[in-house]
Amino acid sequence: MCAQTTASDAEPIDEQSAMRLDSLTKRYGDVTANDEISFAVNPGEIFGYLGPNGAGKTTTIRLLLGLLKPTAGTATVLGTDIRDRRALTETKADVGYLPDTLGFEERLTGHQILDHFARMRGDGRREELLDLFHPPLDKPVETYSHGNKRMLGIVQAFMHDPALVIMDEPTAGLDPLKQDRLYQFLEEECAAGTTIFFSSHILSEVQRVCDRVGIIRSGQLVALEQIDTLLDRGGKDVRVHLAEPVDDAQFVTEDMIDVEIVDTAVQFTYTGEYNTLISHLGTFDIEDIEIGNPQLDDIFKHYYGDDAAL
Amino acid sequence: MTAIFRIESRNLLRGSLLLTGLFVLLSTFFLAVFPGFADEAELVEDAFPAFLMGLLGFEELHTIEGFVAGYLFPIIWILFAGIYVASVSAGMIAADIRTRRMDLILSTPVSRESIVIQKIAALWVPLVAVSSGLFVVIYAGAIAIGESLDPVALAMAHLLGIPYLLVCGGIGIVLSTALDRVERAQITAVGLVFVLWLVEGMGELDPEFERVGIVAPSRYYDPSAILVSQEYALLDAGTLVVAFLVLVGTAILVFVRRDLS
Repeated sequence: MCAQTTASDAEPIDEQSAMRLDSLTKRYGDVTANDEISFAVNPGEIFGYLGPNGAGKTTTIRLLLGLLKPTAGTATVLGTDIRDRRALTETKADVGYLPDTLGFEERLTGHQILDHFARMRGDGRREELLDLFHPPLDKPVETYSHGNKRMLGIVQAFMHDPALVIMDEPTAGLDPLKQDRLYQFLEEECAAGTTIFFSSHILSEVQRVCDRVGIIRSGQLVALEQIDTLLDRGGKDVRVHLAEPVDDAQFVTEDMIDVEIVDTAVQFTYTGEYNTLISHLGTFDIEDIEIGNPQLDDIFKHYYGDDAAL
Repeated sequence: MTAIFRIESRNLLRGSLLLTGLFVLLSTFFLAVFPGFADEAELVEDAFPAFLMGLLGFEELHTIEGFVAGYLFPIIWILFAGIYVASVSAGMIAADIRTRRMDLILSTPVSRESIVIQKIAALWVPLVAVSSGLFVVIYAGAIAIGESLDPVALAMAHLLGIPYLLVCGGIGIVLSTALDRVERAQITAVGLVFVLWLVEGMGELDPEFERVGIVAPSRYYDPSAILVSQEYALLDAGTLVVAFLVLVGTAILVFVRRDLS
C-alpha cells in the first residue's frame, strides 16, 4: 500500500482525479459489459479494480484507453475526456499500459521491442527498470516464458515515466519472487507520485498493494471501499483438523460464520479479533490448521447478500 | 512518428525478398523459352481464343516487348504481385487487432490515422524489391538471349505499374480495417483483386463486362501499350493514385470509428 496516500472516502473534485468514470457504459447488443460505472481514482494512489474473470474489468480499461467507444457515459483520464480522440492521443504520452494479453511483435528481440516503444514515447527509465526486471533482451520474444513477457511488459509500461499506469492482471505468469518485487516497485512508484490502476481477480494481491478498491461483478460496480474496510468485512477462512470430534456448542463462537463441521474437520469464516481466535483454538487439540484469505465469492455472499454471489 | 512504419517495413522485408526471388526465377524461365517461342508466336496468337488474348493483353507476341508485356507483366505483376500486395495489406490492421498488438500500439500517443498511413507506407518495401528485381532480371535476361529492350520503356512499365499495386494495397487495407478476421480480410482482398482482373480481361470481349471493367484497376495499367508502343498513360496512372488515396482515406474513416473488439 502506498504510504503517501491519505485515506479519504470523499470524492475528489474533477481536476484532481487521475481518472474519473462517469456512468461509463458499454453494451454489445443485449450484453452489458460495463453498466453505468462511476468512480474516481486519486492522483498518487494505487487503485485496485477487483472482479472475477469476465466481470468487465478489461472492457473498462479498453474504454479508458479509447480502444472501445462508450455506449453511454464517459470518463476522464488525466483530465482528458475519453471521447475527445485527439486530446486522448496526446494524453497517452503520460500513460503506461500493461495489458493482460501482451501483444508484442513476436519475432523481435526484447531490445528491439523496447526500442520500438522508446521511439513512440521515450525510455528515460529503461536501464533502471531493467535492473529490477530482466527479461532475456537478446532473444526473440517468441521464445519468452509468460513471466519474461510480463517483465518486458512492465518495463515498457514504466520506462517513459508516466503519471498514470494502467495494469491488467499484472502478476499473471510472474513467479512469487518477481511478484513481490513488482509490489514493492509499485509502492515506490506510488510514493513518487505515480497513479496506478491495478486490475486483478486476486484479492490477496489487491489487498497487498492497493489503497482503495472498486469491485466489479457482471459489469456493475458493486463496492467502492478502502481496502482495510473490505478486508475487515471479509474476515479469514479457517480450516482446522482436530485430534478428536468436537462439540459444536463448545467450539463455535459468535465471530464464526458459515461453520461446517464434519467429524474432526471444521471450516468457518472468522470475523473477530485474531488474538481471541488463537486463544480459543489453543484450548483444543489441533492436528492441522490453515488460515487464509476468503474468496471474493465468499466476501460477496457475506456482505452483499446471496444475490451478490459471483 | 515512424516507429510503426519501421516495424512494418521490417516485417515485410523477408516476404518481399522471397517474392522477388520467386519472380526472378519465373522471369528467367519465361525469358529462356522466348527464343523458341518467338518462332511459334503466330501459331499461338492464332490458337488462343480472343478472350484469353484480351485477358493477358497479348500484342506482338513474337517480339521481346510483346512477349514481356503479354506474358511476364500480366502474370507476375498484375496477378501475382497484385495478389501479394492485397494480401499483406489486408493483414496489416486486422492481424494486429486479433493478436492484441493494436492494444499496445494504441496505448502510445499515436493516432489511428497515423497507424493506417504508416502501415500502408511500408508497402515501399515489396514495391521497391519487386520492381528493381524484375527490372534487372528482364533487362539483363533480354540481353542474354540476344534481344534488347528499351530501358526507358521498361522502367516506365514498372513505374506505372506501382499505382496499380498501390490500389491493390488500398483494397487490402480497407478490408483489414473493416473485417474482424484476418483470414477473411485476406481471402476477400485476394478474391476481389482476382475477380477485378478477370472482369477487366473479359471486358475486352464482351461490352457488358467492359462497362463493369471500369472499376478494375488493371484497366488503367497497360504494359503492352508501354512496352510495344511506348505510350505512357500518365492520366490512367494518376487515376489509380487518386483511387489509392480514396481507399486509404476510407480505411482511415473505418478504423477511426470502429471498436477494437
